[in-house]
Amino acid sequence: MLKIDRRLISHLDYLTFGIVLTLSIIGILTIYSATRPPVDIFQQQDFYLKQTLWLLISVVCMLIVLTFDYIWLQRFAYVFYIAGLIALILVFFIGKTTMGAQRWISIGPLNFQPSEFFRLAFIIAYSAYLSNIKEPLKDKTYLKSALIFALFPFILLIKQPDLGTSILLFCLFVILSIIKGINKKLIVTLSIIAIVSVPFLGDILWDKLKDYQKSRLTAFINPEEDTTGAGYHIYQSKISVGSGGFTGKGYLKGTQGPLRFLPEKHTDFIFSVYAEETGFLGSLFLIALYLILFLRGIDTALKAKDEFGRLVATGITAMFFIYFTVNVGMTIGILPVVGVPLPFVSYGGTALLSNFISAGILISIRTRRYELFYP
Amino acid sequence: MHHRTIIISIVLMIGFIAVTLRLVDIMIINHDYYLNKAKGQQVKSEEIPVKRGLILDRKGRELAINLDTESVYSDSAEVKSIDETATKLASVINQKPEIIKTKLDTNKRFAWIERKIDFEHSQKIKELKLRGIGVITEPKRFYPKGSLASHIIGYVDIDNKGLEGAEERFERFLTASPAKTVVMRDAKGNILSEGHQREIKGNNVVLTIDEGLQYIVEKNLELVMKERKAASATAIMMEPHTGEILAMASLPNYDLNSPSSSTPSTRRNRAITDIYEPGSTYKIIVGVSALQEGIVNTEMKFDCSAGSVEVGGKRIKDAHRHGVLTFKEVIQKSSNVGTIKIGLKLGKEKVYEYSKLFGFGSKTGIDLIGEVSGILRHHSKWSGMSIGAISIGQEVGVTPLQVLRAYTVIANGGYLVRPHVLKEVRTPDNQVVFQSEIQKKRIISEEVSAVFRDILKTVTEDGGTAKEARVDGNLVAGKTGTAQVIDPKTKKYSKDKYISSFVGFVPADKPRFSLIVVVYEPKGAIYGGVVAGPVFRKIANESLSYLNILRDDADEKGLLVMTNQEQKSNTAR
Repeated sequence: MLKIDRRLISHLDYLTFGIVLTLSIIGILTIYSATRPPVDIFQQQDFYLKQTLWLLISVVCMLIVLTFDYIWLQRFAYVFYIAGLIALILVFFIGKTTMGAQRWISIGPLNFQPSEFFRLAFIIAYSAYLSNIKEPLKDKTYLKSALIFALFPFILLIKQPDLGTSILLFCLFVILSIIKGINKKLIVTLSIIAIVSVPFLGDILWDKLKDYQKSRLTAFINPEEDTTGAGYHIYQSKISVGSGGFTGKGYLKGTQGPLRFLPEKHTDFIFSVYAEETGFLGSLFLIALYLILFLRGIDTALKAKDEFGRLVATGITAMFFIYFTVNVGMTIGILPVVGVPLPFVSYGGTALLSNFISAGILISIRTRRYELFYP
Repeated sequence: MHHRTIIISIVLMIGFIAVTLRLVDIMIINHDYYLNKAKGQQVKSEEIPVKRGLILDRKGRELAINLDTESVYSDSAEVKSIDETATKLASVINQKPEIIKTKLDTNKRFAWIERKIDFEHSQKIKELKLRGIGVITEPKRFYPKGSLASHIIGYVDIDNKGLEGAEERFERFLTASPAKTVVMRDAKGNILSEGHQREIKGNNVVLTIDEGLQYIVEKNLELVMKERKAASATAIMMEPHTGEILAMASLPNYDLNSPSSSTPSTRRNRAITDIYEPGSTYKIIVGVSALQEGIVNTEMKFDCSAGSVEVGGKRIKDAHRHGVLTFKEVIQKSSNVGTIKIGLKLGKEKVYEYSKLFGFGSKTGIDLIGEVSGILRHHSKWSGMSIGAISIGQEVGVTPLQVLRAYTVIANGGYLVRPHVLKEVRTPDNQVVFQSEIQKKRIISEEVSAVFRDILKTVTEDGGTAKEARVDGNLVAGKTGTAQVIDPKTKKYSKDKYISSFVGFVPADKPRFSLIVVVYEPKGAIYGGVVAGPVFRKIANESLSYLNILRDDADEKGLLVMTNQEQKSNTAR
């Protein structure tokens, strides 16, 4: 099982590895800039050091993941999934509450967000489930899978509340289902159900939302109206990005973050800090990195040697993509503010580790695309 | 399966395109808009507070200082809810919520809500932590001596701009031009630029006023106001050789710390703004010019036994009937008849010329605001009886300061000085940047002034009109004045309203100060010698000891005591 042969090294997907490493380094540099004090008399906060440490741990973990054949994941897919669900349930009992949401579990000195790993467990388990079905999805089987893989975790995550991960899971569920192939009749039925139930479900969902989530949504619809209240995040983020201009203010020259106008500057709104300092050119460079990562991921999916590999690769790639779009989209006001980090760049150890493991699986799928199926 | 993956990918690619297009919109097309927004909230142009210079007396004692008070302002761009903010503010400061609301409802980045409030209240406002509401320290003018020298010091408005007296007159010294500094601030409104704490200080103004003498003068004026139930009273004390005003007071006065509760009439500096008919004090004009012109000598005799004299068809009487008086006695006893006879001898041209020469009919040029020039008509416009009236101080309008300056000419040996209250201007670190120039002009000879000084001494001696002004230990030279008030309605002399005055200088032969006391509309006694004379005496007495001036006879009586220091320096020599 543990085979590090020459072929593994020569076929390794250095492009994906290089991109995620570059993104992480950009992340650490931007975290440093975002959290630097406005005047020299204050101390630099040590977020960038913590993130560097997490990056080292993440790279090591990714290398370990690489050495295993991903087939191994398929075998333990449901174990991961159930473990993930248990962790999500545990959050309600032993979870820490920060900023109105109960998302964290502490194990000794370590704090981690189970939802960060659950999304990966979800992709693996649902892919494993789908690859075991020979036919396109039909009414009965599909509804069963929908219940197990979508509704149950969705409810748990909404409860936390973690709107970002819930939406992500929903999207991944839809994307993976489509790729598996859905019976045409089912598509029509589902579409009708969806259209009819949207107002109804929408109302229920709206009632379930916390006040801050509601006001974020209204602020998205009418951003300039309340620039000091709910619209503050978007307003300040747009000011940061917009004031960057074509070439940017220069590294460590950004002002919105250090002067504390921009909230969540080193986590959810790190793109705004990056864009302010590197300008449109720097932003294009970042977008290009994600685009290459995306195309490479799709290419990996297409070239995967089995269906499980293809589904997992698509799921991981789609996950990176969704996080990227939702995060950047929210910082520039084309999507409402949903607490979603920018993958590899935003500060956050659990997310970084989870993303590197995901990238490791992606690389593993690509690397082993020529290998024969042997158990 | 392949084609579905590709289709999904193409659909997802829309996300990249949308993000890129939006970035073009924000970062390139609307870049200037967002850049201005960023600058608008991060950079703030702040006025550096100007701390007004102090007003000090001649010995450096503080007459006007600054206290730190706190003021509340709003930044409309930051205020969240006008209604809520107004209600909360109204609970702390004494204003109606509606009024606060109108103040908040502007587009200004800076608007005052309430100025110069108690520390206790500002503390409460800080605790409210209202967005867009700030408290800054502002210097507030404070006058530690209250109403003392109020007419000279003056006061300031809420923006620390001088409105009266020295505060207004020396505005350019006391303030510094306000400068602006661009400061960086964070989202919490904290100012982060370094050096923002510095302040600009105006220069300190040192007045010629002596706080101690001013106090002596005001105290005695208050006493006479009470005793004589007078309408008002004025006194000025001047250094005779330089024209420095040592004290200048008018009653009623007002509290500089609450000028709004005063009336315009109490804020008037009567010493320079009110004109009156001087009466007998004006007789020195005729007396001095006759001596200076050599028309008379001190022993020349004038027949005043008739008790009256007719000029231009009008009969002017003496208060008491005198016999034949020498020139000296005419002044000493203040004989109207004698003075008019001298005046007639001089002729109206000379009387006018000397009136002008002594500064009547024109401003003294004192460095205070509101001085009037008085009334002195050109001799060509005089009526037949004018020469008689003017010789004894009627038909002319003078200010107390003009009269004092005229007597100072006798005191200092013949010089007309320019009265002034500004001694010097010092920078906050005590460098002298401006010093008042002493301006004086000889208008009569030394000899004439000496002779006249001797004559004025006799006024306070037995046989003079102002024995009440006599001071124990030092000779006083001076002259009384009693004039009727012209009723503004009837344009005739009032029967019961008088202005009593005494003007002179001490010690007569080596004058240290000249002093005029004018009491307006005293009740009961009216004569200058009786009403103003005693006030002069009290002020002079206290001032002489305050200034440590030797008795005239100290030398001969052996009253001089050497201090230790003087003894030491003597032995060292």
